[in-house]
Amino acid sequence: MNRQIYLDYNATVPVLEKVKNSLINCMNFGPLNASSVHYYGRKGKNLVEKAKLNIARLVNAKSDNIIFTSSATEAINLVFNNFNTIVVSSIEHLAVLSSSKSNLIIPVNKNGVVDLNAMETLLKKINKNRKEILVSVMWVNNETGVIQPIKEVINIAKKYGCLVHCDAAQALGKIEINLNELEIDFLTLSGHKIGAPSGIGALINNNKFNLTPQILGGGQEKGIRAGTENIFGILGFGEAALIMSEMPKKNDNQVKYLRDYLSNKIKKIRPETIFFGENSDRVSNTLLIALPNIPGDLALMKLDLESFSVSSGSACSSGKISKSHVVSAMGYQDLASNSIRLSFPPNDTILESEGLITTEELDNLAECWLDLK
Amino acid sequence: MININQVIEDMDLKGNPSKHRIVVAMSGGVDSSVTAALLVEAGFDVVGLTMQLYDHGQALQKKGACCAGSDINDARLVSSKLQIPHYVLNYENLFQDQVMEDFADSYLRGETPIPCVRCNQTVKFIDMLDRAKKLGASAMATGHYIRRRKNTGTPSLYKGIDSSKDQSYFLFATTKSQLEFLRFPLGSLTKKETRSVARKYNLDVAEKPDSQDICFVPDGRYADVVRKLRPGSIDIGDIVDIEGKKLGQHNGIIDFTIGQRKGIGIGGRKGVDDNNSLLYVIALDAKKKQVIVGSKDYLACKKIKITKCNWIIDRPHNKEFKILVKLRNTSNPVVGKIKVDFKTGTSELDFDEPQFGVSTGQAAVFYNTKDHSHVLGGGWITDAPNMLDLNNFINA
Repeated sequence: MNRQIYLDYNATVPVLEKVKNSLINCMNFGPLNASSVHYYGRKGKNLVEKAKLNIARLVNAKSDNIIFTSSATEAINLVFNNFNTIVVSSIEHLAVLSSSKSNLIIPVNKNGVVDLNAMETLLKKINKNRKEILVSVMWVNNETGVIQPIKEVINIAKKYGCLVHCDAAQALGKIEINLNELEIDFLTLSGHKIGAPSGIGALINNNKFNLTPQILGGGQEKGIRAGTENIFGILGFGEAALIMSEMPKKNDNQVKYLRDYLSNKIKKIRPETIFFGENSDRVSNTLLIALPNIPGDLALMKLDLESFSVSSGSACSSGKISKSHVVSAMGYQDLASNSIRLSFPPNDTILESEGLITTEELDNLAECWLDLK
Repeated sequence: MININQVIEDMDLKGNPSKHRIVVAMSGGVDSSVTAALLVEAGFDVVGLTMQLYDHGQALQKKGACCAGSDINDARLVSSKLQIPHYVLNYENLFQDQVMEDFADSYLRGETPIPCVRCNQTVKFIDMLDRAKKLGASAMATGHYIRRRKNTGTPSLYKGIDSSKDQSYFLFATTKSQLEFLRFPLGSLTKKETRSVARKYNLDVAEKPDSQDICFVPDGRYADVVRKLRPGSIDIGDIVDIEGKKLGQHNGIIDFTIGQRKGIGIGGRKGVDDNNSLLYVIALDAKKKQVIVGSKDYLACKKIKITKCNWIIDRPHNKEFKILVKLRNTSNPVVGKIKVDFKTGTSELDFDEPQFGVSTGQAAVFYNTKDHSHVLGGGWITDAPNMLDLNNFINA
């Protein structure tokens, strides 16, 4: 049997070796409840603080502003439950779309970029009679990898006195995030997208808005998110963030090479393939493609049976695959059930630690793509 | 105990089993789970597919319930135990269009539909089968209690060995070309044997009860489903006797089935006529919104019209011949003479003895008079005139 080729890094990144080792050390150390006052508690608290410093350093934020949650989804819900009027882009993750009840949508263009003019028109219209408006636009789209013009989004939002949330789950580890340069009120992150275990997320809150918590209890995380700290998740997130912050600034050459190699190969052997967001500024690891008459779930099954792990549309916990709202929003309604996402490791550091993907394996994948009918 | 070599032989595929990919239609029940387990043991390259047909949360009207029922999860658990790949096919829209809409319309016409046959006919043996072919499978296997046998060149369909579990009534619409690709490894097993295989493989579904109802109808309350699918189109009307005298009121003809005796709801009359005969539903008039009741005699039906006939045999030489026909899944087959029009796909069937409670919308499934287990095909009953119709005819 062939070795399994994993190309679904935008869904999750395996726990990095260094992260694993530090977790084992920590588990061997002893009881670690960061909320206890004694020796072990202090040790736990210390580890949490260290993790916050590492994450803060990676995105250039104040460590004091970090609140740990169980996931980016929870962090988003925590923020969104504090607002009645939320303006979101049409390509947001379901965590954003499902927790926003306002139905105020910023469209995107055919290239998968938010339409800034439409955003301004929308804000102008709703701004008159409402008090607090939250604007939520993701930094990097999880399906297309298209980088959104977040600076311009913030400028427009601020012009109309709105607060800004940015889902940066897919940006972390792929492009530079510098919160010092941007007026983002809430940034949400996910640990398992950069090689921490799943089950840990974070909200970075610039504290201009007093959040009401949704989980009440023992007052952990400054009373904003109660519940005993997920110490191993937090530690893993911190360690992964440390590795990311020590990477060279330009750290995606190899990833980009592999992505483009596969992209060109497919273009050559099956020219009717549609490449989404190809003409936009996008992260180097993501490739979203479709064939006009091949359902995405069929392509996924065939590739999986040939040992390639990829994704299609959005999968429910049942395993049922639904249409891609992102592809739809880009104006390709006919292809919304056909898209296949191939995502390489987020950066060269993770690519190297994961063992290289060879061009020969990508040739095989392209052959499978050619065989789809 | 099960002879695995027999399983391999029944699969009717040349060469080493490992060279053949078999897609198993897995519902999450014990039958399809055992089907998969047997084929894995036989050494085939097994892939499990489960159809997601409707939103379970919505069907059960439970807020926050997952769109998938626990059955999909059971299929996944079994697949993971058998270490086979398993995928879910999202057929919600297809099922809505092809099966549920038809189900509702059929009831509104005063018929009694069989959505399971529609599902086999339009979703399972069309789209799922096509998917199996596209995944490179040599065959698709299901957990039906039915046998596929090759006598001459083309395969034929036979009842399952376990007569209490025989599912041939629901599979009459299987075409010859579908049958080429389909396999039914449980056809030669009894349900008891199936369960013992499930226990042997330690499958979690070994003791799971058999499904009784139509999958998208919770607790058998089919009328609730029709009301939800067709809001506003179900009218109250009169319950009348054969003379047209009003005996009571009803909340919609969809609540009634031809031949029904219990729960008609004619207050005070205790469900009997002037001669003290028990009253049955003998006709449903969708246009007049009437439920017509009368004594059992009126239910007697001597002939039926059948459309969209599917023949799983080579074309019979004669246009008229004796045949065994089953009019409901639970009833015994009866003898009649069929007149076949191969051009239009319609047939007329004269029963040797009058039949009671024949309902349009149901299937008439044909069996060989010489070999009662041999399924010849079947069709849909579109006309089943009973004594009431005859009565009206005479009065007119």
